[in-house]
Amino acid sequence: MSALEQTELLTPNTLDEALRFLADENTRGTLLCGGTDLMVQWEAGVRPAPARVINIKGLTELSEIKMENGALVIGAGVTHAALRHSSLVIQCAPSLAEAAATVGGAQIQALGTIGGSIGNASPASDMAPSLLVADAIAELASVRGIRKVPLPKFILGYRKLDLAPDELIVRFHLAPMPVGAKENWHKLGPRAAQAISKVMGSYRGKVESGRISLFAVALGSVAPTAVRLPEIEQWLIGRAIDAETLKGAEKRTSDIVKPIADIRSTAEYRRWVSGRLVRGFLEHLASPS
Amino acid sequence: MNKIVRTWKLNGEQRTVEFPPMRRLLDVLRDNLSLKGTKEGCSEGECGACTVLLNGKPVTSCLIAAGQVPDGAELMTVEGLEHTEGGRLLQHQYIEKGAAQCGFCIPGMLMASYAYLAGADDVDLREAAMREAHAGNICRCTGYEKNYGSRERRRRTMAERRETRKNRTTGPR
Repeated sequence: MSALEQTELLTPNTLDEALRFLADENTRGTLLCGGTDLMVQWEAGVRPAPARVINIKGLTELSEIKMENGALVIGAGVTHAALRHSSLVIQCAPSLAEAAATVGGAQIQALGTIGGSIGNASPASDMAPSLLVADAIAELASVRGIRKVPLPKFILGYRKLDLAPDELIVRFHLAPMPVGAKENWHKLGPRAAQAISKVMGSYRGKVESGRISLFAVALGSVAPTAVRLPEIEQWLIGRAIDAETLKGAEKRTSDIVKPIADIRSTAEYRRWVSGRLVRGFLEHLASPS
Repeated sequence: MNKIVRTWKLNGEQRTVEFPPMRRLLDVLRDNLSLKGTKEGCSEGECGACTVLLNGKPVTSCLIAAGQVPDGAELMTVEGLEHTEGGRLLQHQYIEKGAAQCGFCIPGMLMASYAYLAGADDVDLREAAMREAHAGNICRCTGYEKNYGSRERRRRTMAERRETRKNRTTGPR
């Protein structure tokens, strides 16, 4: 028998109703959308079965992708399948579309959502690096109102978010990729599909007159949260992408990151491969597209 | 009693079923509805053996609480394949090619194939895309070549049949 036979399920019809459920202690429960993390954790007993679950799957208010005031706005309930096929995402945040296309397989992509990937607060979130290089802001809602928090301040640590018990992630606001810039996503894992990454990351960069004018890079699974690498970014601005730059960026990255060893990889490998990843991004930026 | 009632369109038929709302869709299909074709492999969304179609999309039924599936949703399990032309053809090609060994992964494989090939007209039929569409299905016996061959044959046969039908309706030119 399932671990969840006694768990109550509430399905709100609107976002407002979901927020009212969360606001009241008698109806508050664990939010469930795609289930790709939570259902596994509950069934395996990693997380105790909750008394009550609030089902937010299919809430239309959370499913939109649109441009608003110059930002790319993505609803927290948008699935990986929708992300990878969205022309707006492909155009404004291409590395996010690439990341979504390598999460799990078709079955996981049809279920898992961007809000869940961030809400699970795992350093192995495949969505986090692309959101970080796009300076994403998380929009949180409760009956008390709306809060907008930049992603690095929202994800506080391993499984720790700046999210009150009555709050819900409703959408993410991303800065669209500037004209002439490039992005790329890369994941290192035992296989391209399904497997959880050992290390992965994204960059957004631009070269003007032979010199780097923009470089944002974020890596996942090298720290308790996905992280931007500001020291590397600053070091690279104004440089030409030559052998010396590649070597310097690779070495500096390996020196800076402080990964841990776990079931998926060793700290030493993660350190080494982080440097290779940043080198690869610079080669991607330098390549004619 | 912690139970809810749902009515779904399951394999083309209206079915009403009562269950604890957080019971996995996989368990409701197998235990409440006695549809044992859907298999439980890894129970964590890795292997794809429990794949069913929810409103036409392939999903791992071990990761869905059945109470999340609303009234009126369309569900298709491997038992529903024989009621469709494309499904029958796909099953036939799997048999002809000898694509199954132990057979445990096959219901999920078939559902992923069916969903992909029955998708929109602009579905990407290049080999890499066809293979990637099955990245969420793991087989530990035969490998994947015969399965791929079966899908490819099914695709070609369907395309030929469509062409024949088109010519029949428009008449010879």
